[in-house]
Amino acid sequence: MRRFSTSRIGAAIVASLFALPACTTQAKDSPYFGKVEAPQGQVLRYISGSEPESLDPHVSTGQPEARIYLALFEGLTDYHPVTGQTIPAIAERWEANADNTEFTFYLRHNAKWSNGDAITARDFVWSVRRGLSPALASRSAYLAYYIQGAKEYNEGKARAEDVGVVAVDDYTVRIRLATPVPYLATLVSHQMFKLVPRKAIEAHGDAWTEPQNIVTCGPFKVKVRRPYDRLIVVRDPNYWDAAAVKLDEITFYPVEDQMTQMNLYKAGEVDAVYNHTVPYAWVDEMRHLKDYMDKPENAIEYYMLNTKKAPTNDIRVRRAFNMAIDKNALAVYRRVVKPLTAFTPEGIFPGYPQPTGDAFDPPRAKQLLADAGYRDAAGTYDPSKFPVSEMEISYNTTEANRQTAEFVQAQWKQNLQLTVPIKNIEWKTFLDSRAKLQYKGAARAGWVGDYMDPYTFLDLFSTEFGDNGTGWSPPEFVAMLREANTAHDPAKRYALLARAEAFLLAAQPVIPLYTAATDWLKKPYVKGMYANPLTLHPWKFVYIEHDRSKWDLDDPPASTN
Amino acid sequence: MLRFILRRLLITIPMVLVVVSVTWGLIRLAPGNFYTGEKPIPPAIEKNIRERYGLDKPWYVQYGRMISNTLHGDFGISLKYQGEPVNRILKNALPVSATIGVLAYLLALAVGIVSGTLAALRQNSNLDYTSMAAAMIGISLPNFVLGPTLVLFLSLTWYVLPPALWGGPRHLILPVITLSGVYMAYIARLARSGMLEVLRSNYIRTARAKGLAERHVLIRHALRGGLLPVVSFSGPALAFLLTGTVVVEKIFALPGLGNYFINANLNRDEPLIIGIVAFISIVVLIFNLMVDIAYGFIDPRVRY
Repeated sequence: MRRFSTSRIGAAIVASLFALPACTTQAKDSPYFGKVEAPQGQVLRYISGSEPESLDPHVSTGQPEARIYLALFEGLTDYHPVTGQTIPAIAERWEANADNTEFTFYLRHNAKWSNGDAITARDFVWSVRRGLSPALASRSAYLAYYIQGAKEYNEGKARAEDVGVVAVDDYTVRIRLATPVPYLATLVSHQMFKLVPRKAIEAHGDAWTEPQNIVTCGPFKVKVRRPYDRLIVVRDPNYWDAAAVKLDEITFYPVEDQMTQMNLYKAGEVDAVYNHTVPYAWVDEMRHLKDYMDKPENAIEYYMLNTKKAPTNDIRVRRAFNMAIDKNALAVYRRVVKPLTAFTPEGIFPGYPQPTGDAFDPPRAKQLLADAGYRDAAGTYDPSKFPVSEMEISYNTTEANRQTAEFVQAQWKQNLQLTVPIKNIEWKTFLDSRAKLQYKGAARAGWVGDYMDPYTFLDLFSTEFGDNGTGWSPPEFVAMLREANTAHDPAKRYALLARAEAFLLAAQPVIPLYTAATDWLKKPYVKGMYANPLTLHPWKFVYIEHDRSKWDLDDPPASTN
Repeated sequence: MLRFILRRLLITIPMVLVVVSVTWGLIRLAPGNFYTGEKPIPPAIEKNIRERYGLDKPWYVQYGRMISNTLHGDFGISLKYQGEPVNRILKNALPVSATIGVLAYLLALAVGIVSGTLAALRQNSNLDYTSMAAAMIGISLPNFVLGPTLVLFLSLTWYVLPPALWGGPRHLILPVITLSGVYMAYIARLARSGMLEVLRSNYIRTARAKGLAERHVLIRHALRGGLLPVVSFSGPALAFLLTGTVVVEKIFALPGLGNYFINANLNRDEPLIIGIVAFISIVVLIFNLMVDIAYGFIDPRVRY
């Protein structure tokens, strides 16, 4: 009898578990994910990723911080909310000289700091010098190395006054470059070039970002900062375009755990989340929902190949391993991604004549390996001759990376009859082994563009400092990139960049895998927030639509002035 | 007794120094740095960073600075969260972890002792079987299963409680229950076995023979002895509950020490790691000492 009663409890538990799907089926009919209830007023609750390293835009390099800086600080230019291309911000307009080595930016006269002080050209000059100062030790400083004297100043070999940024008058900034940089206007949207308040920094030193000291220049200003809890920003009436700002308040939550993010979103505790947050096993379920934001991104996923160590120091081996992966199948398997054979993301840069790399071709891959010496007496490919113990796929530990690695492993097994071991490594340890070229064979890599130009990807291999994880950086390639940047005509420049990319693909120091997709969620009442290729949202365009009848309409195109 | 406490407190200092030294050495052994990222940093920038944070100094200077900081109770500035003093992080994060920890512990203690004692008094009854079965489930159910299960029903199906974040009392309920689950179960089992043993002992029989009311036998005599295992379990348990619980803080996105600790390690944020490790070891040592002192009061057989 006793036994019976306990088993009855067990049965009840099991029954309630089975009843669970029944409880959630009502959500199946809804075109939205979870609870949909617009918050009162114009308030947005957003999950921005990890806890920001700092509110100082020159100091941190990450995306979570970049999302927050878009609310608090402005640069000369900004990102278009839909396309991610350059739009005017503190600069109204700009022009370049014939060979892209000198740019003039004309600042608007009504831009103000949050304390009411006017923003002038001198503020920008001071900000750039400060970002480059060796004492600050900014990790993003290299982005400004194209400016004359910038690298030397950052290395302690020149003075701040030698940096080629000058205030021609109160509202005109001239930037002289060491090498041609046709994409300078898009580059200066980066946090490294945002304006920071001289007075506050000189008065408070490192403590200038404390809520009681901070002075900002973006559409919003700091109200509450509680690390690992929340950052609340409110509309700044001193902002030059304050009339266009629609939200009164934004709360940024630093939540890292993917399940927790999804729980908060489903329960209606937050209104939107950042990119790559929907677990990809859910994507098939989520894709039909109106919350799901899916567009190609300014980011790629690829494998680096160790070109300094056998067997991948042989170009035939590198090409064979690339050809033996069915990228289309990988894209289907990974669900949210577009296949990639080139090194720049597909469908992001309008007018860029992107080259294509080698297609999926297992017979040719085997032939290449046979040519490389892995053949039997008859001259046909013999997998047993291949030193598979010298190959590995190493990746930093995440679920998504593991699945991709297993997929690639299966492809190589199926198409080349080689079982390449896979190995997961903790992030910092992994970076170390990659930078020092200690890994065997292939190592996972991803790159999110610093700015909206193919150059931000190709530049990875022109790097004059340190390594790019592959050991490949021939002078011809670097020269090709330089030549492209001297071209004033954008179409010609793109053609030259594409030529360099084709050269890179032919040498195959990498195996391109896919163009990343945005993969995030927003509630239907959040408007003016688009799936752009950067997942950086200029917050002044965002608003809460309280009229339910407008929820399902497409967002009106953002007007940018 | 006083000499015992003093001696134990003095031993705490070298023990904490040993712990932070080993930790410091382990951080050095781990590859990578707080500033390493996807893209390599130009050597000049790396040099600037190392100078700014004193990493260019010889190891013994860095070690000496760390030890001196620890002895002064000021752990310096976080490397990852630039400009943020480690002491302020500890000060902000501790109340969060402590609130969740203490509430979870009180809940575990209340439910655990009551159900364990009742189970012992009614040994082999339905009540005993049910509560011990529940305790077994509680012990076997890790909090990363219990937490999301509670969230699934209470936050995502019935929408009655927030699924995460730090806010009012409503935000406390799920993390506290999740955290207390295992401890509750463990305490229930400890209380039951402790009580069973004591209830069969001679001095309880003597107390009953004296004609004491069952209530008095139970509360004045049996509970004191029966709960000794619970007390010795409490010291380390409470220390760990107070200093942050990585999994629960992660699941519920709480701004507590555990969350900081795990990220500090992943970020190689040396001052923050050292600060948290030193703090946790002090708390653990002090709680162990408190347990030993508590023994003196509860168990008449213990003498110092």
